[in-house]
Amino acid sequence: MTAVFRACPVTGRKIDAQAEALIRVNAVVSIVSLLIGAIAAVLLVLTRWQAVHLLPADWFYRLLGVHGMSMLIFFILFFEMAVLIFASTVLLNARQVAPKVGWAAFGLMVVGAVMVEVLMFAGKADVLFTSYPPLKAHPLYYLGIILFAVGALIVVGLFFANLVVAKRERTYEGSVPLVTFGAVTAAIIAVITLLHGAAIYIPAFLWSLGLMNMDAQIYRMVWWGLGHSSQQINVAAMVAIWYMLGGLTVGAVVLNEKVSRVAFVLYILFISMASAHHLLVDPGMGSAWKVVNTSYFMYMAVLASMIHGFTVPAGMELGQRLRGIGTGLFDWLKRAPWGDPGFAALVFSVVLFGFIGGITGVTIGTEQINIIVHNTLRVPGHFHATVVAGTALAFMGATYYLIPLIFRKKVAFWGMARIQPYLFAIGMVIFTMSMTFAGSFGVPRRHWDISFSQAPFDLQFSPAVDLLLALTAIGGLLAATSAFMFIAIAVVSVFFGQPLPDLSGGYPIAGVPLGLTNPPRHAPDVDARNAELHGPKMGWMGPAPGTLALVGVFLAAFIVYFFVNWKVLSFVWKIG
Amino acid sequence: MAGTPAGPPDEPIPLAQRLIDNPFLLLIAGLIVMFVIYTGWGLWEILTLPPATLP
Repeated sequence: MTAVFRACPVTGRKIDAQAEALIRVNAVVSIVSLLIGAIAAVLLVLTRWQAVHLLPADWFYRLLGVHGMSMLIFFILFFEMAVLIFASTVLLNARQVAPKVGWAAFGLMVVGAVMVEVLMFAGKADVLFTSYPPLKAHPLYYLGIILFAVGALIVVGLFFANLVVAKRERTYEGSVPLVTFGAVTAAIIAVITLLHGAAIYIPAFLWSLGLMNMDAQIYRMVWWGLGHSSQQINVAAMVAIWYMLGGLTVGAVVLNEKVSRVAFVLYILFISMASAHHLLVDPGMGSAWKVVNTSYFMYMAVLASMIHGFTVPAGMELGQRLRGIGTGLFDWLKRAPWGDPGFAALVFSVVLFGFIGGITGVTIGTEQINIIVHNTLRVPGHFHATVVAGTALAFMGATYYLIPLIFRKKVAFWGMARIQPYLFAIGMVIFTMSMTFAGSFGVPRRHWDISFSQAPFDLQFSPAVDLLLALTAIGGLLAATSAFMFIAIAVVSVFFGQPLPDLSGGYPIAGVPLGLTNPPRHAPDVDARNAELHGPKMGWMGPAPGTLALVGVFLAAFIVYFFVNWKVLSFVWKIG
Repeated sequence: MAGTPAGPPDEPIPLAQRLIDNPFLLLIAGLIVMFVIYTGWGLWEILTLPPATLP
């Protein structure tokens, strides 16, 4: 099939029609999955809010499974498939290899996802997201996941094929762009993830048919190679989007290509073993395995996150300064385009991922501290900060640029779009912080009724827990409201939106992010500014002093939170 | 964003850059580290666990 290209009027890139269509359908199904997951989220938070306690027990656990699969697997992975296709074709001016295979893979993913959703809603798969044996679902549930995973693996294979063909056809020079390299990282972690998925869901399928036995400990260990690693695909894709949005919104520069690429390589090598965090209290695994996987090696991936957490905002600061914006420590940030939803989403994604998700993740992933965290609400408090406040918000920010660039439509409800990232971030801060503190009081996760009514024993939590669970629900409802706003904006833009107008005028247009109408450009004297920023005048803080100051705040918060947790642990093990 | 220039045409590409530019090499390295350190070692730990004796 001969590739048909169009030229993007904004970026001038060649865009393959087949790749563009595949990006569109993956993005649309991703948003549909987000809608299902968000509706489930509203019902769940209204149940954990003790004063409301909306759902009966069976529907609470059923919708908890629906929420997990819809959000953590379907929403995220369909979007990531769109990112992989975008990064390997649009960013490289390359064609989509074997588009018919791409459509078949997409079809497999959709069929698998529909099977899983139907079986969960029908009550045939009340096994939660993790489906730990001996909980057993209908065989078609496992088959649906296998079909979805096979489809995703084919798309990842096509991504690598696209890279090979682009290089052979010389559509780019030298190394692939950094954003594409981030997508390479995500694709490699996806292969690791999906192979673990095959290694556990195929036996689980046979077990559900009564054809073999299942060892619960082996299941947990291999399953988490899928369950946690799938969230590391998100991290890599999210960081790639950070770099992309930084460049689009404020003309961010890459401080050091080598350092950023090495950080991605550290992800490839070490981030997947974070899966072992989930087994830190399992008696079947030895301390050496736990410590090596979650500390010595995994900290290399933490180092990588901290590198990106510095280079992304520092690149934004330097980009602003090279454009002549900002003189003091934070002037570059104050004068940034805060009305651009892509920029606001980027900043909140970086800050919430690092300050809440990152700090809590490294702390609770420490073997000793994990004993006071395991199976409490602190765990979902952590991963909602990484996956939702970090990844989902970054994806939302990217969508505001993809709608004009890929769908060639104006963003609908522009006024609402401009406040949507703010509402989402506020909601997620309240939600994750309240959940984390409730977990600190020992409140269990995945639990329908912490009042333990009708139980043969009595357990009273601190009265503060009721307030924290109410705040969790309020934060969750705010974030869900923002998610519904985002879905409405995306659906109306894509299906009923106004066509993209001519952007060459250089003036702001409602419905088009500022980075597209007024692309950030360096000042005419950029070389002189660059020399000055890297010269002795900037002192020991270098060319990005504002970011360095923020990093100081981050490290101080990290140290305080980490050692407070050791202190709390000492209360558990009283001596004397 | 047409790719990061490799440098002047007559300058050899550094070994580290050539390694990092090869996605298949990175894929193999990522698979080996995870499947040896996490999955393989983990399986070995579980399969060699002595059976618990009843009190």
